[in-house]
Amino acid sequence: MKRLEKTAHRVGGLRNLAFFTTLAVLGVLGLLDLYVVDSLIPPSSYVYIFLIATGICYGVYPLWSARRLTTYYWRRTSKHRLALAGLVFIGLLVLIAIIGPFFTQDPTRVDFKEKNLPPVGFTVQQSIFDMSTGKFTTREIPGTLSHPLGTDDKGRDMLAMLVSGARVSLQVGFLATLVAVLIGAVLGVSSAYAGGWIDNVLMRFTDIMMTFPFFLLLVFIVFLFGPSLSFIILAIGLTGWTGVARLVRSEALSLRTRDFIVAAKGLGASSTRIIFRHLIPNVMSPIIVIATLSIPGVILAEAALSFIGLGDPSSTSWGIILNAGQSSLDTAWWIAVEPGVILFLTVLAFNFLGDGLRDAFDPRSQL
Amino acid sequence: MRAYIIRRLIYAAIIAWGVVTATFILLQLSPNSPADRYLASMSARGSDPAQVIAAIESRYGVNRPILVQYGEYMTNLVRGDWGWSLSTSMPVMELIKKHWIYSFQLILLSSIFAAILGIAIGVYSAIRQYSKIDYIATFFSFIGVSLPNFWLGIMLILVFSVQLGWFKTYYDTSLPIFSLANLKALVLPVITLGTGMMAGYTRYVRSSVLDNLRKDFVRTARAKGLPERRVIGKHVLRNAMLPIFTILMFDLGSIVFGGAYLTEVIFGIPGLGRISFNAVFANDYPVVITITLIGALVVLITNLVTDIAYTWLDPRVRYE
Repeated sequence: MKRLEKTAHRVGGLRNLAFFTTLAVLGVLGLLDLYVVDSLIPPSSYVYIFLIATGICYGVYPLWSARRLTTYYWRRTSKHRLALAGLVFIGLLVLIAIIGPFFTQDPTRVDFKEKNLPPVGFTVQQSIFDMSTGKFTTREIPGTLSHPLGTDDKGRDMLAMLVSGARVSLQVGFLATLVAVLIGAVLGVSSAYAGGWIDNVLMRFTDIMMTFPFFLLLVFIVFLFGPSLSFIILAIGLTGWTGVARLVRSEALSLRTRDFIVAAKGLGASSTRIIFRHLIPNVMSPIIVIATLSIPGVILAEAALSFIGLGDPSSTSWGIILNAGQSSLDTAWWIAVEPGVILFLTVLAFNFLGDGLRDAFDPRSQL
Repeated sequence: MRAYIIRRLIYAAIIAWGVVTATFILLQLSPNSPADRYLASMSARGSDPAQVIAAIESRYGVNRPILVQYGEYMTNLVRGDWGWSLSTSMPVMELIKKHWIYSFQLILLSSIFAAILGIAIGVYSAIRQYSKIDYIATFFSFIGVSLPNFWLGIMLILVFSVQLGWFKTYYDTSLPIFSLANLKALVLPVITLGTGMMAGYTRYVRSSVLDNLRKDFVRTARAKGLPERRVIGKHVLRNAMLPIFTILMFDLGSIVFGGAYLTEVIFGIPGLGRISFNAVFANDYPVVITITLIGALVVLITNLVTDIAYTWLDPRVRYE
């Protein structure tokens, strides 16, 4: 027990030990996967295990160990009614995205007999070719409970498609933002801490990246490298970090001359220790706010890409459904309306939450 | 001041070089090289592959060392030789010259629409802070910022074109540019692109005006007994407009281009976005590269102009 504590202290606390152990286990598993046995666990689980470990060690654990501060921020955030509503909506959406697909029908099942069924409570007129008489007959078709949100032009269940689209959108939103924030935070902090020519080079590089219009660059990259979901996530992350880098740099610059950093330096702390122990924790709140506020942009970017046909064709993304909906506007309006409403509400929820968090983290704002 | 402008120009040149180099690196990293795409595109047209390969080798020099290719890429771009668009059978330069005006008019009209309404609403809701209208404006600007603009476009088509039949569902390219009939055809696209921008401007203007309303010089102006109209118009607005001007210019790159791209795709407006969209699916890579570069160039120039304009817009800013 004593030894464990000693080792933990050397890497900066128990949670770092737990985190690095998880990383090591993942690494061993990955090597086993590559060289000994085939696909021990699916490749995507590596990312998720990594994410969950990061979330517990650097999200849940600090919140728990600083309960007083957590309740303080919670009180401040929850005064923001809309932010709270946004949080509830996002929580529900995450839940639906995780467990929803087990309850809905197969979103890829095509059934032309049931195509263009309206949602429950609506009826549409459809012309149907009658084989026996050889004529078109017009019929009133009501929505059925088996397809509560209707079906698309190939008879796929809209509800199932939307639920599986939620999975895609949230994956893209969280993962791409994580990539962007990691790159931005590392570049921003090191740029501010190193100063001099390193700062100059890194910031000029940021300027060059910022000169490209975001969406045009994204289209260009996906055009060059092909549209797979994991690549789209990577592309959005690799292009979307510039704002984070600038913000983190300016925050870190103002921190660098503060007494506690100077004191730490005077006591002989290493650069790594200062960066990870003092700089990063202190720029965390603006990072959390900008991450929350950039998730909707990321989700919209993915939806827009798949809307213009540059999305992963094997996934059921909201953008892909919208694209299909545009071509059948005059026969089946709900195909275009439903994914858009969900997309809009998701973006709105993240914006509300981000605004609430910004106010909560800002000690000057009166709540 | 002069030194600042010169330094700013040199700096812009460095950024331009970086942008072009970045596209070159991306092209080199791409798993399917331009030559492959060229080949695929040409063979799809029924040309003899052997001939095509020879043509590509002479045109792009794919066998030469990478630095030579890089030099070639740079000089071609600077000379204005932007390649040959296969899908439309004309030089890319010609294609751009033919189509840029459609994007220009869409972006111009949307910006005017968004700026006028956004500034008016923003100023009003800042002056009457916490009034009912302020709450409504704030709420709607939140909604406007969150509305996916491509979905808004589709909804506008659904309601006004399909259900009500007021507008055509597609943009009529035969209409002369900047005519009244054309203006009517652009109503829905302008609302589609302008709503998000307008909502953003409303928020910026509101917070900027509120910021300035708390400043000492406003209190002084009021204490002098100036009428409120003059306090707002002369003292607050002038100062509030500076950051807004920057944001207007900055939005161009991050929001407006993406929005215009999608708007053009939805309404079939033959602007640069639509051209790039077509080129992506026709594997016509010179067009895609050129339009990406043009976007970056426009952002670069607007940033440059903004920075230089600042030197006389705001005398407080010092450059040395």
